[in-house]
Amino acid sequence: MITVGMDLGTQRVKAVVLKDGQVVGRSQAFAGFDPTKATEQAVAEALTQANLKLSDVQHFAATGSAMDMAPYEHSTVSMMSADAKAGVSLIPTARTIIDVGAEEARAVRCDERGVMADFVVNERCAAGAGAFIEAMARALEVKLEDMGPLSLKAERASPINASCVIFGESDVVSLIHRQESKPEICRAVFDAMADRVSSMIHRLGVNPDVVLVGGVAKDVGFVASLNRKLGLTVKIPEYPDYVGALGAALIAAGRVKGGA
Amino acid sequence: MAGEIIGDILRLTVLAGLGVAGIAAVLLWKKNLATRVTFLRFVIQAVSFAALFYVFSYTIPLLYVLIFVFVLSLFLGRFFCGWLCPFALIMDLESLLRRALKIRYRLIPDRFNVALHKSRYVIMLVFLLVPVALFVFEPKEIMVSPMMAELLAGHYRIYNVLIDPMIPFIVPWSNVATVNLAGVNFAYPYGLDIVTFTNEQIGLYLMAAFVAVTLIGAFLIRRVWCRFCPTGVSLAAINQFKGFKALPLLYVEKDEKKCTKCGVCKRVCTVQVNEVYEQKGGKIGTSQCMLCSRCVEMCPYEDALKLKLGNKTVFRSRNWLKQPNTD
Amino acid sequence: MKETTVERKYLPEMQQKEMDELRNTVKVASEKIIADNIARMKKADPHRPDAMKYFDDIANLFGKRQQEIEAEKAKGKKVIGYMCLFAPTELITAADAIPVRVNSGWYDTSKLGDRVVPVEVCPVIRSTIGAKMIQLSPFLEQSDALISVLTCDGMTKLSEILSDQKTIWGMNVPRVKDSTHSLRFWSDEIKQMKTQIETFTGNKIDRKKLKESIEVSHRATKVFRRLQELRKGNPVIMGRDAMLVNQAYSWDDKVRWTENAEKLCNELEARAAKKDWVVSPDIPRVMVTGTPMFWPDNWKLPTLVEEGNPQGIIVADEQCSGERILNDPIGVDEWSMDDMLNAISERYLMASTCPCFTSKDGNEDRINWLITKIKDWNIQGVIYYVIRGCMLYAMEYSRVKKALDKINVPVYYLDTEYTREDVGQMKTRVEAFLEMLNARVDF
Repeated sequence: MITVGMDLGTQRVKAVVLKDGQVVGRSQAFAGFDPTKATEQAVAEALTQANLKLSDVQHFAATGSAMDMAPYEHSTVSMMSADAKAGVSLIPTARTIIDVGAEEARAVRCDERGVMADFVVNERCAAGAGAFIEAMARALEVKLEDMGPLSLKAERASPINASCVIFGESDVVSLIHRQESKPEICRAVFDAMADRVSSMIHRLGVNPDVVLVGGVAKDVGFVASLNRKLGLTVKIPEYPDYVGALGAALIAAGRVKGGA
Repeated sequence: MAGEIIGDILRLTVLAGLGVAGIAAVLLWKKNLATRVTFLRFVIQAVSFAALFYVFSYTIPLLYVLIFVFVLSLFLGRFFCGWLCPFALIMDLESLLRRALKIRYRLIPDRFNVALHKSRYVIMLVFLLVPVALFVFEPKEIMVSPMMAELLAGHYRIYNVLIDPMIPFIVPWSNVATVNLAGVNFAYPYGLDIVTFTNEQIGLYLMAAFVAVTLIGAFLIRRVWCRFCPTGVSLAAINQFKGFKALPLLYVEKDEKKCTKCGVCKRVCTVQVNEVYEQKGGKIGTSQCMLCSRCVEMCPYEDALKLKLGNKTVFRSRNWLKQPNTD
Repeated sequence: MKETTVERKYLPEMQQKEMDELRNTVKVASEKIIADNIARMKKADPHRPDAMKYFDDIANLFGKRQQEIEAEKAKGKKVIGYMCLFAPTELITAADAIPVRVNSGWYDTSKLGDRVVPVEVCPVIRSTIGAKMIQLSPFLEQSDALISVLTCDGMTKLSEILSDQKTIWGMNVPRVKDSTHSLRFWSDEIKQMKTQIETFTGNKIDRKKLKESIEVSHRATKVFRRLQELRKGNPVIMGRDAMLVNQAYSWDDKVRWTENAEKLCNELEARAAKKDWVVSPDIPRVMVTGTPMFWPDNWKLPTLVEEGNPQGIIVADEQCSGERILNDPIGVDEWSMDDMLNAISERYLMASTCPCFTSKDGNEDRINWLITKIKDWNIQGVIYYVIRGCMLYAMEYSRVKKALDKINVPVYYLDTEYTREDVGQMKTRVEAFLEMLNARVDF
């Protein structure tokens, strides 16, 4: 059985091809102005990797904030359900899954079947999401990829406000004016973000198996800050940015089986 | 002899028949859920009034009546006070009159009300001591057996006070405390005892004063006497002991989850019981409550209040709006 | 409109031209939204009950009802508006005046309100201020006096702000509900209000009139409770329709509303007997609690739930714009003036589950209400709806969440603003929640 999961995120679209429960192809593209086209491109590329044709696919499932713009005949899955499903399939002990994407952060609590039991979404503010790092990197004139490694060099933390990207940025500027070193400011940025995300998790209730997924999971600086904040080591699956798409593909497989 | 028994049975049957007919009539014709039980209560009170008159027309020792009521209350709590007591009927009729005249009732301050409730124990004690005191002050030889005889059957019977509220308005006998009008003997609760315990001349004045005070009191304050009536003690005290937790079998139960604390139960209560409103669900424990069920009747939330007999629900609160609400 | 010459304490001076322009723009937009909302409700239920036609008519705030009130006013009747549910409408009708609720549900006017108060303030308040600024709300403009019950901070200052242009009667509500002196205080407020209404309208509220007025309310409550009973079983009416019916009571004529709601109930009962369900009985049954949702604009959550994929249906709510309007009857024991007034004050104060109250057990009534509803209405999930700025509802969430966790009913905290822009985001959340409810049922 072949299913395709498409995750139409705010910045990137991701596609995963699933064959009998195994990932056989994955690809991503910039969402840009035409997410539909970008998704088509990503799906085509992933299918090429898997040596499959479009007609082989039995079911498409779309998730992500732009899921209604997905191409092909598809069903939709909410981001939280997709995260829960994929999180548990990758790390079976996972009960809390945090998905930090570009514009949104989500925390999902689920049971052993990967069915979500509760979820929290950050409140209409990007301070807890990837865009925050991006904005801060701009203010610091540091490349996005360098932020994480740089922050690890910091010796102490200086607090900044994380309630809002704009105010956060002005806080960063005042740190610059205080001539704090770049690594320290980087760490301050990640700490502030981790603060936001961990308070979300606390609202759900912490349990030891916390899984971090989404694009931001690739940022070592953020992971280190979050670990510090939560006092545990969060688990990160391979390819954390594809988790949403994988979840959609898994749920699609379930829907084919279920005859829906 | 046989004729008398047959006559008795006939009279009893007629009385029971009238009672059943009255109840049936209320159930059939009174569609308004908000006052149905109240009407039912009036029917039962009237039947009880007649029954007591009938009982008193025999010369059965009053002690037996008291024992019967006492045993009844062991199982039914102060059901007697709420539904059967003739003195309460007089007070309820006065309330009806007041309602018809659209005059508002007065409330007793809550703390004073509770104090009155507690004082009924003291009042009872005083009443019990009066005959003993009178007995002691009379220059007689103190011997146990005549004393007992005097207390139980003599002039100053202690239980007289307890049975007093049960004296109906119309009695089959005549004595110093009754008024004979057109061949009917009218009496008033506690009348005879007031006269007995004092001397006759002052007694009659005292009695007149008592009648006036209680009549006016009950007109303004709902069931004013019930708030400290010493008979209530005998009926209530038993439920306070730990061993009798299961008693009485008849009680009001509250479901906290269905309650919105709208306060109707508190306002409609004729003796200002606060527990129904304040208690967090469960069996309403206070012996202030006379189980008249007005609160259950007026509670607008389904099943929030229930009148239960053992595990069985006799009557529960309903959405009384379901029938047209007119008075 | 009568322009007062007194110095305005709050409201800015506005050019008549600007005012007219803004009013017309918002009014046109609003009429479109009303039509659109109704069209969507019709679409959701292709064979919508015929009796809903009446309520659609009443739902047009600039239509039939406005003209009717205008005509009554011309005959000399007074209109008394109120903001919170605590205003004793029975006293208003007993004095031959017309009660209307004037809280604003317009999104566009909330931006105007920003000119007077900061954006952090509850949008209902801001929107009402904005509506007053451009004289948009027909009912607010028509009311000769306003009863403002000072429940929350917003309402307290709103009454002050509106007092620039209207006669305002503030009613001081005690925050602690279950003490005797609170009730006595509130009873005095009610009695004071009675005198005020009598003086203002020139009509004496006598025993007979008040009794009639209470009986009108009783009949309305009766049919209201019948409608909610109907929502207990498999769905025979869309939640949105029922919510609109409930809310229409707050500006419609009480007697006529009752008649039409009765017709609706008859129709629904016939449908229930035929097992003619409006949607599949298997879809998640949702309850909404929290801040009020005022018609016409603030209708996005019910729309999202009932048009979502997966679809849900709202079968109950606990809102002062919904079921709390009519749930509690006035329990009159004796029909004397005194007892009626006491009954009215108890009904409005003690039975309320507004989070502005507390007692020695906190706002436990609300928890009890929620739990009873959840059990009796067979509710699978609760959406805790908060418009940003309502501190009281936002703060009470933790307690509700704990209580509902205990009975294993999921609750989702959804916060929003008076804005249309976040519908997309809300949709994701609502749909995820409904998906979750479905998954729980499957298991």
